[in-house]
Amino acid sequence: MSMPNRDVREIIRDEHLMRNRILKVLAPGPQTIPQIAAALGYPTHEVMFWVMGMRKYGYVAEVKEVTDEGHYQYQVVEREGA
Amino acid sequence: MNYDMLVVGSGIGGMESALKLGDMGYKVLLVEKEASVGGKMILLSKVFPTLDCASCISTPKMAATIHHPNITVLTYSEVEGIRRDGDGRFQVKIRRKPTFVDPALCTGCRQCEMGCNVAVPDQFNADLVSRRAAYIAFPQAVPKKAVIERGGTSPCTFTCPAGIKSHGYVALIRSGKYEEAFNLVLESTPLVGSLGRACFAPCEEECTRGGLEGPLPIRRLKRFVADTHYRDHERAEVKVPAPNGKKVAIVGSGPAGLTAAWQLALQGHQVKILEAAPQPGGMLRLAIPAYRLPAEVVDQDIRNVTALGVEIATNTRVENLEELKQQGFDAVLVATGTPRAAKLNVPGEELQGVVSSLDFLRAVKLGTPTDLKGKDVVVIGGGNVAIDASRSARRLGARSVRQVSLESRADMPAHAWEVEEALTEGVTVLNSWGVKQFLGQGRVQGVELKRCTAVFDSAHRFSPQYDETTTERLDCDAVIVAVGMTPDTAAFAGQVQVNKNRTIQVDPATLQTSVPYIFAAGDVVSGASFINTAAGRGRKAAFMIDRWLQGKELNEAEFDPKLPMVDKAEVLQRQRSHSRRDPVVNPVTLSAEPRGFAEIEPPLTEEEALVSVSRCLDCGVCSECHQCVATCPADAVKMEMREQKVEAEVGAVIVSTGFKLFPADLKPQYGYGRFKNVITGMQMDRLLAPTRPYNTVLRPGDGKVPDRIAYILCTGSRDQTVNNPLCSKVCCMYSIKQNQLIMGALPLADVTVHYIDIRAFNKGYDEFYEQAKAMGANFVKGRVARIKEKEDGNLLLYYEDIANGGRINEAEYDLVVLAVGIQPNLEAGKLFPGGQLKLDNYYYVEEVDEDLNPGRTSIDGVYVAGSASGAKDIPDSILHAGAAAAQAAAYVEKVGRPS
Repeated sequence: MSMPNRDVREIIRDEHLMRNRILKVLAPGPQTIPQIAAALGYPTHEVMFWVMGMRKYGYVAEVKEVTDEGHYQYQVVEREGA
Repeated sequence: MNYDMLVVGSGIGGMESALKLGDMGYKVLLVEKEASVGGKMILLSKVFPTLDCASCISTPKMAATIHHPNITVLTYSEVEGIRRDGDGRFQVKIRRKPTFVDPALCTGCRQCEMGCNVAVPDQFNADLVSRRAAYIAFPQAVPKKAVIERGGTSPCTFTCPAGIKSHGYVALIRSGKYEEAFNLVLESTPLVGSLGRACFAPCEEECTRGGLEGPLPIRRLKRFVADTHYRDHERAEVKVPAPNGKKVAIVGSGPAGLTAAWQLALQGHQVKILEAAPQPGGMLRLAIPAYRLPAEVVDQDIRNVTALGVEIATNTRVENLEELKQQGFDAVLVATGTPRAAKLNVPGEELQGVVSSLDFLRAVKLGTPTDLKGKDVVVIGGGNVAIDASRSARRLGARSVRQVSLESRADMPAHAWEVEEALTEGVTVLNSWGVKQFLGQGRVQGVELKRCTAVFDSAHRFSPQYDETTTERLDCDAVIVAVGMTPDTAAFAGQVQVNKNRTIQVDPATLQTSVPYIFAAGDVVSGASFINTAAGRGRKAAFMIDRWLQGKELNEAEFDPKLPMVDKAEVLQRQRSHSRRDPVVNPVTLSAEPRGFAEIEPPLTEEEALVSVSRCLDCGVCSECHQCVATCPADAVKMEMREQKVEAEVGAVIVSTGFKLFPADLKPQYGYGRFKNVITGMQMDRLLAPTRPYNTVLRPGDGKVPDRIAYILCTGSRDQTVNNPLCSKVCCMYSIKQNQLIMGALPLADVTVHYIDIRAFNKGYDEFYEQAKAMGANFVKGRVARIKEKEDGNLLLYYEDIANGGRINEAEYDLVVLAVGIQPNLEAGKLFPGGQLKLDNYYYVEEVDEDLNPGRTSIDGVYVAGSASGAKDIPDSILHAGAAAAQAAAYVEKVGRPS
């Protein structure tokens, strides 16, 4: 959380670039935002933008149950029309 | 266009006014700047105090507005100005922004959005998530039609003479779509690999990122997609179109000829290229040294062309263009380039050992180079071809290479980086010298130089001036003259009009020669240029020839229409800050003793390519990657769509431009924009809405389900420190609404509201407040002084607790919601010239007789509806809009409807 904030536009612009990396991280199974962030080495709030963008556009979906730490896990889903 | 009424803005107030007037039988023109009607209400979760779903009650009104027989809705349009006539009517100017999607064809399927490769903040989700450059505003949008956001043409794309959508292929690489990126370049030219290596890359000179740490390596990125494609595809895989029965002959197989052939063959024309040289490719094949452009890359590019069925006949010199017509070709394109070397016309030029750069480079590329081992070579010329000759001479083992340039170092026509590389490879550059004569008996033994004092005259025409008394002698074994290239068009004189400088005369707009079926393009028309320029002209020639063969008027069509180039300063200003991203270095392999013609520039690795594309600023927003064009099942994407200006006369005007939300970062003590888990009330409303950006209420900092949530009321309202003493009227109630919704969505969450006063003034509001308290919401009276962010993203609030003696307390929360206030929308005042529409002391539209004539403004016939005149909740906005509609109707009845 101590990293300087990047402009939101700049973070969001990276979504397409990060998509394949995130899908790779999720390939073995569902992960929470902090877990994905740790795997990628990026701040959690940036990963949040990317994963939520991927969720919006049908690449990932949440697993129903929340973890004990209060996070949802996200998993790769088959994209409609893909 | 005449209407009884103009309504500006289609929020709940604007829609209500329009519907009431439409129901009364008035013809209403409703203008909305966004792509959907609905304003802010449609974006809310629920409404207070009934907790009705905002979408459920908005969408019927939105649909009724759009479909009402008396209402014409112009979405994605802006009123530029309104002028009141002497007869009490109004002249309105409207700008219809291009959506680049034909609304009649768009089915709202979102395929364009799903395939789009540019992500930008979604303003309809309060920037909590991305949307695409191609987008439908939100799921309940009315009309549900896609829009493509284009801010202009990106500088890289705008500058490319070949018409390549540079931004597009950069965006496609960023998405990992390398094959699509290759195909996008193919839309312009088949020379993907050649341009990826030998293009002088004007795109990079214009790259906006160049104003930061340095431009993207756009050319090398093209090479990356070419190398990737050619590695994965041994054969060119192109879809051959059905032949249309037309035959075109292209004379010359350089960049212009090959590109024209490619484009014409794509249209189904049967194309044959006739090339005088033993191998196709023109300058690509015969002039550009292999260390910059290997022959196999040219072969790969040419295979794209031949895969389409284009026939290339080499060793075939064409001298009679008319014969081609007799042979059955319907059209002819002359693209023979500039194969003749210009001469210096100085004594000794005929000596053995004095060769032209074209002959020299051609021999090198054809494998029969001049033996220069251990020899002293002088190269005459200051351009890129001279540099190529110098560096090739070094590679052939020349002991010394001295390059003589008329120009000073700074004014040399060669690119500065090429000069630098030549110097590194041991070439000596002698500037501001001209050639007086070549010396020797039978064979050249030296060059006598004379000082050049000026290259151009005052009109910047080439007119070198010399100091004949200052001379210098260079002893040498060989001389390569690279002082220009000219077309070889002597054979065509008499068939088409040929200029004095041997170029072919064409109509510059159509590239048609004096003979209708003969076109000419590339360097044979323009004189020596660059390969990207020649490719672009070949593409244009193909466009014109295709039209001509179809019997279409040539001058009626605009070739390659582009939006104006986006303002680079505006691009940079879209962000508050730009994090530093250094360019990938280009480790060209240079040696002071270069040997062999192996390629000196390494390819970008995939990682380097991805790092490089991550630096793109998406200047034009839409990258023109054309994925939307490819995926739209309705063929609705129309990139050629342009802005339209519309004028209308109306009888009365209702201003319903709504409000703005207070920018929360103006209260820096609350950390909005810096602390990841501090959000605004509108953002919370989005998180609670059925069409929310996340799967539930999560904190944006790390996706955690928040347990402890704080509200800070009166953020930016009732606050003299931000010049807004007004109460925003809705913040208390929307916060209480959200409290109840949060407790429904997150039953275990604690909600605390830090407030000054709770203003629950309308029917049922106080009961609603009491209900929230009964559900467990905790209300703490007192201001919050500041917020501190902890390492784990939690937030420490330091607040005044008035109920407990006014002491300053500290409390920790997972998430803080700033109940931001309402501000006037200053756009309302700009609708009329010269400040005619008066604003009140707080910059809302002034109601001049608020008590007796609500909605009446300072201009007779102009009325204000909803929160454009001050903060209102939804029921009050609707009521006010109804009043404004009644006032407007009365006015129109008085002055009469426009005829």
